[in-house]
Amino acid sequence: MNRLSSAARRAIFAPLDSEARVEVVVRRLGDAIALGLLADGEQLPGESDLAGRLNVSTVTLREALMALRQQGLVATRRGRGGGTFVQAPADTLHDRLRQTLFAHTIEELRDLADHYAVVAGGTARLAADRADSTDLDAPRRSLQEFADAGDAPARARVDGRLHVEIAAASQSARLTREEIRFQTEIGPLLCLPFAGEQAHRTADRQHRALLDAIAAGDGATARDLAEEHVRDALRPLIETRLDGTWQAAR
Amino acid sequence: MAGSAVTADDRVAPGEDTTTGDAVAEAVDRVGGMLEGIFTTVRETVGRTGALLDAVAAAGRRPTRTDLARLQPLLRGQLARHTGLVSGSGFVAAPGLLADVPAWLEWWQPGPDGRAVPMLLDLDPTTSAYSDYTHWDWYTLPRGTGRRAVSGPYVDYLCTDEYTLTLAAPVLVAGAFAGVAAADVYLRHFEDAVGPALRRIPAPAYLVNPRGRVAASNSALRLAGSLARDLDVAAARGELLLHPCGEIPLTLVTHRS
Repeated sequence: MNRLSSAARRAIFAPLDSEARVEVVVRRLGDAIALGLLADGEQLPGESDLAGRLNVSTVTLREALMALRQQGLVATRRGRGGGTFVQAPADTLHDRLRQTLFAHTIEELRDLADHYAVVAGGTARLAADRADSTDLDAPRRSLQEFADAGDAPARARVDGRLHVEIAAASQSARLTREEIRFQTEIGPLLCLPFAGEQAHRTADRQHRALLDAIAAGDGATARDLAEEHVRDALRPLIETRLDGTWQAAR
Repeated sequence: MAGSAVTADDRVAPGEDTTTGDAVAEAVDRVGGMLEGIFTTVRETVGRTGALLDAVAAAGRRPTRTDLARLQPLLRGQLARHTGLVSGSGFVAAPGLLADVPAWLEWWQPGPDGRAVPMLLDLDPTTSAYSDYTHWDWYTLPRGTGRRAVSGPYVDYLCTDEYTLTLAAPVLVAGAFAGVAAADVYLRHFEDAVGPALRRIPAPAYLVNPRGRVAASNSALRLAGSLARDLDVAAARGELLLHPCGEIPLTLVTHRS
């Protein structure tokens, strides 16, 4: 029973050119790493062994490993105890975020922090004037979810939502859009400090104080707390960027 | 007139002359009539969605997105009919209602060229912090009361980032809550529609929702978005008058000038 046309069969069984082979190897190993089938830190078999098992040439394998290295999914160490090692996606995320952070200059980050602090402060002051207790149900829920969040990406995601909800409580669509813009720009970067328990606890404490001030209608305190919160969140990012200045220099 | 009772349903309330009373009556009619018109549209969505879900249930299966896609001509027509006033219309499924996805909004909005476009949200909780829409007033009010509701004005950071009023009503299938039908009105469009009638009132006047949030106003002293606290107390003291807008849960507040 040969249901496929002969043309289709030819396409399916056509010999892989070397480019397609590289892609197939990258996809197969990349997927296995992303899915956790190959564990973080696990050493891959040696090049000739692996090439033999996959039935590709060592040239093809080397090209595939280079692509995986560029994606941050493997790292190659030379010398004694060297070889190619799996890097789990969590590390990849971390690396990717560092790259994003390092794409900003210190001056840009300082200016971003200034702008964000002013907007967050003014937004919090307005929210204190205008929010009723029902308006604060959503941020209070997020506050608790943030406190309970175990991993850094979830913390960064919920933190972002919490601040958007506070902005919405100010009843200003423009300020809410501005907050969303800040979240898009630097929200994911907050994964870096939020990986630390200390930063997580500090942010949680500040969230509670901020929401209490807004609920009490104390605009001046809410403004000060929001500004402080932004500066405290961005300071470790700027410090990381300062520490890495020499690395980014080309 | 101090000390007189608050007579919210009088066309000419104590303390108002006939001119003011007429203008108030006109404004109340305008607001009530306009929002009732949009609620008629929401009722249409309720009816069509309910019938569609009933038919699927009668066929012995659970609904899917494909079933809800049959609402599209209706929703497109609604947006065309209310151009410049309704900026979104559709059905928001209760999570777990559909067989093929955990959650869904069959929601249509006017696109940049005026043609209706579907709104597609990231409802995956592992990538979006906004995947759970069951806390919004436009969902909880109809679900909780079983009745229609006006929610807002509020900043809609889920869909449009616009300051919005949402008119919503529950959809029931065999008596059980299946989701809400709703229509969005941007507050600037609402202001355009009711502003002239409010301006004709020769005293400070503004519309508030049941929580005291101002939805439209005829004076810069108290604009949309501000919170008017303790209106009942002020009304009892005779400082202002409260006028209902028919069955619509908005109240027109007029100050004694």
